[in-house]
Amino acid sequence: MILHPSVLALVGSALLVGALLIYSAFWGARIVQHWDLTSGSELQLDLERRTHLISTLLGYILVFGLASLFLFVFTADSLAPLFTGAMCAAGSLHASRYGYPVLLLQIAGFALAAIWLIVNRADSLGYDYPLVRFKYRFLLALTPVLIAEMVLRAAYFLDLKPEVITSCCGSLFGSGGKGFGSDLAGISPRLAGGAFAALLVSAVASGLLFRASGRGGWMLGALTALLLPVGLAAVVSWLSPYVYELPTHHCPFCLLQREYHWVGYPLYGALLGGSLTGAGVGVLMPFRAIPSLAGALPAYQRRLAGWSVALLTGLGFLVAWIVAASQLRAS
Amino acid sequence: MIRLQDVRRVFHQGRPDELVAVDGVNLRIEDAKVTVLRGPSGSGKTSLLALVGCMARPSSGRIHVGEREVTSLPEHFLTEVRRRTFGFVFQQFHLVRGLTALENVMLPAYPLGGSRKELVLRAQALLDRFGVGGRSRARADWLSGGEAQRVAIARALVNDPQVIVADEPTAHLDSKLSAGFMDLVAALRSEGRTVVIASHDPIVHESAIVDRVVAMRDGRIVSGTP
Repeated sequence: MILHPSVLALVGSALLVGALLIYSAFWGARIVQHWDLTSGSELQLDLERRTHLISTLLGYILVFGLASLFLFVFTADSLAPLFTGAMCAAGSLHASRYGYPVLLLQIAGFALAAIWLIVNRADSLGYDYPLVRFKYRFLLALTPVLIAEMVLRAAYFLDLKPEVITSCCGSLFGSGGKGFGSDLAGISPRLAGGAFAALLVSAVASGLLFRASGRGGWMLGALTALLLPVGLAAVVSWLSPYVYELPTHHCPFCLLQREYHWVGYPLYGALLGGSLTGAGVGVLMPFRAIPSLAGALPAYQRRLAGWSVALLTGLGFLVAWIVAASQLRAS
Repeated sequence: MIRLQDVRRVFHQGRPDELVAVDGVNLRIEDAKVTVLRGPSGSGKTSLLALVGCMARPSSGRIHVGEREVTSLPEHFLTEVRRRTFGFVFQQFHLVRGLTALENVMLPAYPLGGSRKELVLRAQALLDRFGVGGRSRARADWLSGGEAQRVAIARALVNDPQVIVADEPTAHLDSKLSAGFMDLVAALRSEGRTVVIASHDPIVHESAIVDRVVAMRDGRIVSGTP
């Protein structure tokens, strides 16, 4: 294990967050099993108080979980000089067999945690805990994913040895190589860029329609949910060469470095934020018929759609600026 | 109508010093009537009053205010019910020292928003109504006991609540001022407001304007249950 301050912070916080998650999941299971709002029993009143505590607790720890995705990638990036052959986070992640599985689990955990937070907020808008069972069942499904991610992340850091020879991002994300990264880089830039642009424009239009009329929530949810994987693939296949001004360089991590003005942080932040707030609108659509949410939920969905539109529009401008400012020209 | 259904309030539950303050109370408090909770110190009347006024939650049981069940409400919804439905007069009056009488009366209305100009007029009208209009610019710590109580009643009414909850409101008043307080209660009842008072003062529970006296001991109702 490499005793780097960020590694210690991530492992230490994972222990704390994991313990709080298990505590929350325990009470979540009790709430799912025993919740009965028609009862005035001591148990029911205790569960009503607990759900406030658990929701608040999860609000904080999941927000930290969201931030830890960026901290993890930042840490992997800053560890790169310790490994022979590594130029950025791509090489550091490749230095252990756990590296890329952790990253994929972190992205999945990020998406699920963000949706849970959106559902939790929606639940608090109703006076009768309208989504309480749904959100705790969701938590019970989410907890193993987040715990697995933390265990795997700790295994990754424990497995790291400074003398390991790893591959650089040029090899891992080279369009002629083998592996997932190379497969992504090998997607036709025209296809990836076109699909990304079409989805982005459709998602923004759908978000504007939803804000204006309250219609098209399902469409917005589906488009933005699709935009996230397509956007990540387009960054590798189509956009990153414009940033590096090199047609063969497809690394999704070098974007996070100083030489490229840390452009990856706003890029990924806007993509994740815009996609997940939009997907949240879709996730909440089935609950609009619940009487206690009928007044407040549509307004909350409109706010989410507004955030989605704002972030995706910002993403669109950022991508346009990257392409326009680049010396690389599409052939 | 406020309806309590098998309500218990236990402090330090499960510990050696556990105290059952309210023990299985069933009670209906009628609209536009004056109800007095009577009992010795430690009988649970203040705890019950706090539950009725949504200032505390029971350990078990349910409370309905009108058609709405309030004990399960998330805190921000309960705050809204408390703010709009209840006005409180506390035993020590709890006026904020350093603020004027007028500012004290205006205080509970701030979270509701609205025009400050209208609020000043409303607060001043309440102070005038209770005979302390001339003291509106006096700081709370300069008021006499009787004046402080009238300001406290004006404050309880500033949001135009349907229910007034008063805890030992005459504890610090002489007999004349206590009788004057009951006259004010009569006026509130005649406006159609519900008044719930916890008191062991005979001037209160023997007053002709009281519709119902509920006697309590050891957290239970011993007489006056419907």
